[in-house]
Parts: sequence; C-alpha cells; structure tokens
Amino acid sequence: MTPVIAARNLAKWYGNVLGLSDVTLEIEPGVTGLLGPNGAGKSTFLKLLTGQIKPSIGEVTILGRPVRGDASLYSRIGFCPEQDAFYEEMTGREFVTSLLRLHRFSAGEARTRAERALGTVDLRGDGDRLIKAYSRGMRQRLKFAQAIAHDPEIIILDEPLNGLDPLGKRKLIRLVREFRGEGRTIIVSSHVLPEIEALTRTIVLIHQGKIFARGDIHEIRDLIDSHPHLVSIRCPEPRSLAARFLADGHVLKVDFGADGRSLLVETNDRDEFFGRLGRLIVSDAVKVEEITSPDDNLQAVFDYLVGK
Amino acid sequence: MSPYLDSLERVFSVFWKLSRKARRTKFFFLFSQLPVAVALIIRLNSLFSGRTPATGLYLFTNIIMFFYLQMIILVLALFYGTSVCSEEVEGKTLPYLTTRPLPKSAIVLGKYGAYTAIAAAMTSFGLILSFLILNFDSLSGRAVLALPRYLGVLVFGLVSYGALFTFFGSALKRSVFFGLLFSFGWENVIQYFPGSTQRLAIAHYLKSFLPSPPAGRFAFLTFRLEPTPPGLSLLVLGLVTTACLTLAGLVFSKKEYILED
Repeated sequence: MTPVIAARNLAKWYGNVLGLSDVTLEIEPGVTGLLGPNGAGKSTFLKLLTGQIKPSIGEVTILGRPVRGDASLYSRIGFCPEQDAFYEEMTGREFVTSLLRLHRFSAGEARTRAERALGTVDLRGDGDRLIKAYSRGMRQRLKFAQAIAHDPEIIILDEPLNGLDPLGKRKLIRLVREFRGEGRTIIVSSHVLPEIEALTRTIVLIHQGKIFARGDIHEIRDLIDSHPHLVSIRCPEPRSLAARFLADGHVLKVDFGADGRSLLVETNDRDEFFGRLGRLIVSDAVKVEEITSPDDNLQAVFDYLVGK
Repeated sequence: MSPYLDSLERVFSVFWKLSRKARRTKFFFLFSQLPVAVALIIRLNSLFSGRTPATGLYLFTNIIMFFYLQMIILVLALFYGTSVCSEEVEGKTLPYLTTRPLPKSAIVLGKYGAYTAIAAAMTSFGLILSFLILNFDSLSGRAVLALPRYLGVLVFGLVSYGALFTFFGSALKRSVFFGLLFSFGWENVIQYFPGSTQRLAIAHYLKSFLPSPPAGRFAFLTFRLEPTPPGLSLLVLGLVTTACLTLAGLVFSKKEYILED
C-alpha cells in the first residue's frame, strides 16, 4: 500500500549549513509526533513535506505524487506554519474566508466553512476583530483554523501548541485526537515532550538534521527516564531537606546553592523523587517555595541520548 | 473560466479587498493627490493675482503630468510592485499562499493586478480632479477628449513600471533600493539623452503619448524628447510588461524563499 507521505533519502542544505540529512520515512494515517530541540530540522522537514522548499537530494511524495509542482495536492493538505505571521489588517473571519476562497470554494461555501472552523477553535465571537488585536493564543488558534477549514486529509502542524494557554492546549489536543479518529493523517512538531506525549504514541525523534529514533513514545520515554535529572528546590531550610534525601537510593547527588536557600538534587528516578518530595511536603510539613528542573528540556535529553 | 484565470481572479479579489483596507493605501492616496494641491495653488494664485495664466490644458500637460510621470507613478509602482513578492517573504505570510491549490505564477499576477488596480484608481482620481480644477472654466471638446489620453498614459505607466518592479521584488533581496536607483537614476537621466539612447527609458514611451508642448516656459520638461509613434510605444510598453511579468512568475515559481527568524 502506498504510504500517505513518503520521504526518500531527503537532504537539505542551506548553503554550507545542513538542514536535514538522509531522511527516509513513511507516514501512515494517524498522528505522528515530530520531536526535537529547536534547530533540529523539524521545520525544514515540514517545509519539504509541504513543498515550500525543494530538497537538495531525495524526494517527497504525498499520496504517491511528488509534492513540488503539483498544486492540486494542496486541496488535500492543511498546513499550520510555525511563524506568528498574518495579514494583520484583516479580521479573523476575513482571513479564514479569504484563504478558503483560494481553495476554489464559492463565496457562500467559504463563509460557511470559515464559520465552522472559527467555531471549532472558539473564535467565532472574535471573528470580526482585526488580527492585530488578537492575543498570542487567539492567533495560534486562527492559524489552526485556516489549516483545517477546507477539511484536508493531511494536516501538518508546526509547533501548534506554542503560545496556547492550558485550556487552549487541551482543546487543540482533543481536536487532533478527533481528527485521528476520522482516519486523517496528522503530523505535529514540537520541542516539548509532554505535548507530543499528549497527542500521540508514534514519534519521530529528530536531532541535528537526522532522524535519530522512531517508534512508540513509551520506549523513548524509558530511555529518557533513565537520564539523570537535576531538580532545583528553593526552600528556607535546604540542609534539613537534603538530610532527608540522602538515605534515598534514587538520589545520586545533592548540592547547595550559593544563596543558602536552595538545593540541587540529581536523581535517576524522577517519578520516585517527586513522589517522595510530595510526601515530605504533605506529611512532614516541609516548606518549599519553588521547584524547577534546570535540565528538563529536550536538548539535555537529546544530548544524553546521543552521548549514550 | 479556465482554472488558471479562476486562480488569478481569486488572488486578485483577496488582495484588492486587503489593499483597500491597508494603512499604506491611505498614505499613498494622500500622496497621489499632491498634484491636486498644486493645481489648486495655481488656480488660486491666478484668481487672486489677477494675472492671466497659461491655458488650463497647457498647465495640466506640463506641470501635473510631470508630477505624475516623474514622481507619483514611479513611487506607487515601486512600492506596490516590489511588495507583491517581498511583503510575503518579509511578513512571513508566504506559506499561506504557497500551500493553496494555485499556480504560483497566478499568485504573482493576481497580486500584481490588484495592486496596479488600486494604484490606478488612486492616481486617476487625483488626475481627473486636478484636470477639472485647471480646466473647469474652459472645458472645451478638445480638452475633454484629451483626458482619456492622459489617464491612459498614467495607467500604462503604472502597468509597465509595476511589472518591472514586481520582477525586482521576486528576484532581488534589496528590490526597493534597486528600484529607487532605476527610477530616479536611470530613468531620470536616460530619458533626456538625445538620439536613440532615450528609448531605453520607459518614461520616453509614456511621454511619447503626450502632445508636444510649444516652446515656452515649461519646454525644458520635455527637453530633447524625440517621440516614438504611439503604436510602437504601446507595443514596447506591452512587451516590457509581458516580459517582466513572465520573469516574475518564473522566478517566484522556481525560487526558494527562506523566511528568516
């Protein structure tokens, strides 16, 4: 069976800078998460998939047809770009309607579909406001609306959850799951692991322009979970708190901040550590002002995985 | 309607509506009415000074058309023409257009059409108004018949300069800079060269449509113009426009625009 999206030996160079290298990938219906730190090559890959740039080597086919030079394919693709860019002097309603008109819908059909798409992202009430007056979250939802308004079979979303508030994120995650249930093919890129985790189990890890791993998110999660984590805790009595952790096997190292009010703990079992910390706060009334994880970002995880 | 023309019409319609609302349109509208203010000043001056001015048609040809041909249509065509492609790249809105089921050349031509139409509407309004101000008390059949010719010259100018600058915008990174060099460097110099050299300027063909002024105070404005016959001028302007738009469409279809973060 022909895959919905197929990339073969795909490489992209921007002058002397490598954007993507030797990517061979087949994508089937469902949600595929493209995960990688900033600058990993996710956007380059999505631009190649949508024919915005041409590969230096290799080819991309969508539904068995080469994407560049076949404009008719775009009626089956919805693309939500990463950039926060709009025709600012349009209203949200005009924006979606205008882009639908470019999909060859009649004026009436475009209006109906625009209303539906704006309703889907809860922007119907704000549809007549100028885009330049929209908040970041509204702008993100509007970008999503224009990507789905023409009912595409393939939806490509570049960092769609950026700038959304928790409610907005939850709503968008629910919508993506609904689209998956309808048998559509959705590609979502993100540099935030929990976001991808909430959307799909099928992920592609991309790093330094290469596909680093592909598979079920739980396998990747297991790898990531064995990565030693640093947790910074700000509290009035860091030494007393440190003493309680020292007996725990999952705590590898404890360090104190120069300000005398913080503690840096390295653990190889993040879940166990946070469980223990929670119990200390609740039952032993340990006072904690702030908890942060300095290396809880994808770059650190990737560095760890690549190094491993 | 063929699918290509349908695409063209849709892009035109979207950008016609968008450009009517744009803030820059308000600015350019005011800018394109500058000759109206000049016409008013001339008129008021003649009323209050009591001196008999040159005929309205003479003043119109040699002052108002000079403003339009040497400055206003150049500036409008430069900013609208170069922005057809470059505003999509600089504003990072390009993916919204290039991921629609449209031929890429139709995007360029449709936007070019919309922007040229809006510029033509603005300048025609100012031209008609200044024509009426200078001629309202001496509106003869000859004067009225001359008006379509002036409007035609203006539209031809916007169409051909606009096409050239659309090509600049699709191919060059600093298109406005090169456009300014062309407009106020090349065009302003070459058109005054004697012999056939002046035929290398678009302005030469535009001025060839205008009546030759009698020798007088304003004769220096068309100094050394050796007009090309109107039919040939039209052909040359048509060829320049077609060539530039074809190149712009080709470049836009083939070129890879990188949206910088």
